[in-house]
Amino acid sequence: MNLIVVPDLHQILVTIAEPRLDAAVATSFKDRMREIVSTSRKTVLLDLQRVDFMDSSGLGAMIAIHKAMPDGIPLVLRGLTPNVERVFRLTRMDSVFNITTAPDQAREAG
Amino acid sequence: MNTAKNLDPGKTGEMSRPAQTMFHRVLRAEARIVRDTLTDIRRRFAAEIDEDALGRLELVLAEVLNNVAEHGPGAPDIGEDSGEETGHRAAPLIHLCIVRLAGMLSCAVTDDGISLPAGCLLPPDAPAISEIDLPEGGFGWFLIHDLTQELYYYREERRNFLAFRVPVSDETAPPLPEDQDGQFSSD
Repeated sequence: MNLIVVPDLHQILVTIAEPRLDAAVATSFKDRMREIVSTSRKTVLLDLQRVDFMDSSGLGAMIAIHKAMPDGIPLVLRGLTPNVERVFRLTRMDSVFNITTAPDQAREAG
Repeated sequence: MNTAKNLDPGKTGEMSRPAQTMFHRVLRAEARIVRDTLTDIRRRFAAEIDEDALGRLELVLAEVLNNVAEHGPGAPDIGEDSGEETGHRAAPLIHLCIVRLAGMLSCAVTDDGISLPAGCLLPPDAPAISEIDLPEGGFGWFLIHDLTQELYYYREERRNFLAFRVPVSDETAPPLPEDQDGQFSSD
């Protein structure tokens, strides 16, 4: 499971550098992300731009991560591709997550 | 691919119809193998099905195949928790067949895993959303019902049989025979 973690002053940017968030990687994704978010005192911005496909096990991992966020610390998702957006929409989880369509600012650095 | 000559009204009979794209595979129900299979399916149908339908097909099949993997006798979760013996049992064997027909992809999946619980075949409600206690599972069958038509299931001896259709627009596909001269011989 390839995650790129870039903390800065205001947030922790986590880029999922994997094309698929599926049953083969959901558990390791969930475990890695829980480690990252559990002690965070800043907004966690999760970039899904490179993820072409997500299934319900990937969604389950997302929900577990959402629940693992410390009180008052936001988790923001961005860069949802059409196949990923579909899963959030059909399950109505798009109403639970904070999903932004704002253009990214910190990408060129990588 | 020139399908026009196949549609020449002077040529009649089944053999003159353009071939329907198919995919058939026998696979073990393991997450990595499911992933590779889905990639191959996408490749097989990419030339004639739009991206939206490809995405829906891939999601449905991921849910169906992973269900078999997660609840099969060789499922890693069972093996880890309950001792050695279950961990060594082979994952269920899945037979998968997909055929491109007018307006749809027709899918059939059989496996020798455990029987499906009766409840998952009823059109489900989405898992209840509550900020306090969000469900982390239960979305798979909801997605399957949402994305398929004419979902059928039966169990015969030790095998599950599941059949369904994924609707597809014909607009981006090569022309298929019209109803008057291109009926499918078996359906």
